[in-house]
Formats: sequence, C-alpha cells, structure tokens
Amino acid sequence: MRRTDRYRYPIIMTLLVVLQFTVRSHLGGDRVAPDFLLLALLIYTIRAEPGKSAAAGFLLGLLRDALTPASFGAGALAHTLVGFMSSWAKAVFFAEHVFVKGCLFFAGTWLRNVIVLLVSGRLQGSQVAWELLVWSPLQGLTTALVGVVVLWFFRGWLTPYRRGGGGGKGSALGVSV
Amino acid sequence: MAIGPDRYASRGDTLLFIACVGLSVAALSLPDQWRDPLAQGLRQSVLAPFLFLQRQTELLAAARYRYDAVVAQRDSAALAATFLPELRSENTRLRGLLGLAARLSTGYVSAEILHQPEPTNPLSFVVSAGKREGVRRLSAVVSPEGLVGLVASVDEHTSVVLSWAHPEFRASAVASDGSVVGIAAPHGAEGPSVWLLELQGVLYRHQVPTGTVIVTSGLGGVFPRGIPIGVVIGPAGEEKGWGRTYLVRPVIHPAELSHVMILTSSRPAGSDLRNAFTVPQDSALPNEVPPQ
Repeated sequence: MRRTDRYRYPIIMTLLVVLQFTVRSHLGGDRVAPDFLLLALLIYTIRAEPGKSAAAGFLLGLLRDALTPASFGAGALAHTLVGFMSSWAKAVFFAEHVFVKGCLFFAGTWLRNVIVLLVSGRLQGSQVAWELLVWSPLQGLTTALVGVVVLWFFRGWLTPYRRGGGGGKGSALGVSV
Repeated sequence: MAIGPDRYASRGDTLLFIACVGLSVAALSLPDQWRDPLAQGLRQSVLAPFLFLQRQTELLAAARYRYDAVVAQRDSAALAATFLPELRSENTRLRGLLGLAARLSTGYVSAEILHQPEPTNPLSFVVSAGKREGVRRLSAVVSPEGLVGLVASVDEHTSVVLSWAHPEFRASAVASDGSVVGIAAPHGAEGPSVWLLELQGVLYRHQVPTGTVIVTSGLGGVFPRGIPIGVVIGPAGEEKGWGRTYLVRPVIHPAELSHVMILTSSRPAGSDLRNAFTVPQDSALPNEVPPQ
C-alpha cells in the first residue's frame, strides 16, 4: 500500500458520506437520487474481504435503520447481504472494467431495495412492483453513473499498489478507461 | 491489502457474515420498546453530526431558494405597510362578517424533512425539530394542505414522524359537515388505490358522497379537530358487516413535502383548525371514478 493511500481512500469515503447528507436531497426525487452511502459501501467491498464487507454493510445498514424506523433491521440485513455478495462476486466473477463496476453498483442498489422491501413487508402489491421495476432501477442507474464518475475521477487515488508491478490496469480498483 | 481470488471464502469471512446476518435478524425481531431506544441512541450519537449537517444544508438551500421571494415580499410589505392600519381594520371587519377564525398563527414549529433513500421513507421519516424546539411525542404533523402524520419519537433536535401511509397510522375522522364519523387508516391494498386512505367504520345507514372533505374529529386528543385528511373518492369495495368503508384521497403525499409544521401547543377543547388550512380544490368533483 502506498503511503498516501492511507489518506486518499478515507478522503473519498468521507466525501461520499458528506455528499449523502448535503447535496443528495437536491439531486432530484428522493427515490431517484443516487445513494452515496451505498456507493461508498460498494466501493469498499470492491477492495475489502467479504467478511469485512459484510460487517461494514451491517453497521451502515443499522445506522440507516435508525433513520427509517419503519423497516428497522431490514436495512442492516440488506446491506450485509449486498456487502458480502458484492465483495465475493467481485473476487470471483467480475473483470476489472469500469462498466462492469457500474453494473455492480446498479445491481447492488437494486438488490438492496429488493431485500429491504421484502424483509420489511411494509409495502404491498403494486407498490412493490413500482418500487422494484421503476424507482429502484432508476436509483440504481443514478448510483451507478455517480459511481463510474467517482471511479474515473479518482482513478489515481483508488488504484491500490500491487506487489510486483505498479497499480493501474488490472488492479483491484483499477479503472480501465 | 489482499486482492484477487485468493481473498474470498475464508472461514473467518463466512463466520463474520453469518454473525452479521444473525444480528440483522435479531434487529428485525426486536420489540418496539427495545428498538426505539436503540434507534434513538444511534440518532443522538453517531448520526447526530450527519443529521446536523443535513439540517444545515436544508436550511441553506431553503434560504437560497426563498431569497428572491423574500426580497420581493419585503418590497411589497414596505408598500403595503403604508396602508396597514386601514388593511387591518378592514380585515378584522371582513373576518367578523364572514365568521372566520384566525388562521394557524402560533403553536407550531416548522421543520425540514430529512429524506432518506430507502423505499420505506414515505412511511416514516426524520424531521429537523426535536425536544429543544418544543416537539413532543404524538404531536400532529401538518402541511398547509392538511394532515401528514404524527410524531412517533423525539430526540434533542430531530423527531421521527409516522406518516398517514404507515400501516399503524389511525386518526379519528369526521366529514367536514360533521355528518359522518369514522377512522382514517391507510388503504394499503394492491392496484391503483395504493397510497390512499380509507374511512373505516362508517355506519351502514350513512352514505358519504364523492367529494366530501374528511377532517380530523378531535376525538382521542391526539389530533386537533379540523385538520383536512383527504377527499372521499368512493366506496372501498363491497360493504361488510354493519359498517361501510370509503376510499379517501389524501390531501398531500409525504414524498412531495420538503417542510412540515408540527403542532406543539395544546389547544383548548373544541377548537377547530378547519379555517387554518387550504380547502382541497377538488372536493366537489362528481365525475371521479373510484379505482376498482
């Protein structure tokens, strides 16, 4: 790990958290605007082991549940599953390409909403259908777009050092653009 | 940091994952009396700086948005001030003639809704006013159009609001002319009638015409009388038993709101807030067909 990685990576995470609580509410409808916190989790899961990703997802989900008590516990479960699956799938299946990572962000957002909806059981029938087929894909799309922009913009910062060769194309967070 | 395929499927990862899932399931099954203090503790500790940040951002955005309007209003007010005594006396005289009460002028705090991206956000949400601002549990939450919900729990500077769309929401309701009494509850069914309320428990002998405005009755002491809830758009399916149920279109959807007002002061028994709210414009639409 480069010495500056110690600072750059937390800076980007902090930036995403700050964006969530400052500009997010001004980026369109609440159900469409990108989810910066989930994006931070997904970026973390690309880099971290599945166990740590699950733990990070659980903590993040629990904190979010405190803000939406209608589905308390559902967010923790959803973020745990998404964190673990994202990290595991990233290690097993996904190639190092920015488009693939965009798809990962999209799928992660959509899956999170699916789990929250199904586990909380608060919405019914066509409400669930609207959420899953319209609003969640739109939110996944905006989150993926922002994620791709973040990866591209901070590609130098998010590219970890690789033993036996410099970071860049083909590394864990290497952005192939 | 380990990267690549060699990092997954370790026993530690699996155990940590299972532990997190177990804790999540435990959180899901927590009873309300444990869940609420836990959520409140998180909001008042870890999340407090973030909620403060969000609140300040909302205030800043609102201030910027309103700046032009405020300048225009100030100019208008300066002009109008020259006619103020005459306007005031005329206003008092006209109100006296029409029998109107004063609009909601005190006894509330305004608050920003701190929206969250979860799909369940319209059911319960956090607002930027708490104990310090005078908010108490079970305070009514309204918008200029009518009822939004009630305060479920209160922190120092934030509160959790249960909107009318929450499955556990109930409000004692009455037709605006006082002819029909019932309980307003979320409809929560499939089809196009989602995000509607229903007026339950109406006596079988009472027919409620389409377009009737439903307001809070004041019974139970939670909501003051006269807060508009919605407009009747038709019967909700077949009548069962000795009561009728009617579909009610709410006056406002929680997702449309950015600011709300929380009624703080206790009002004298029998006080009626009907004239403090905007009357639903479509309260007399005879041609509206209720969703089947």
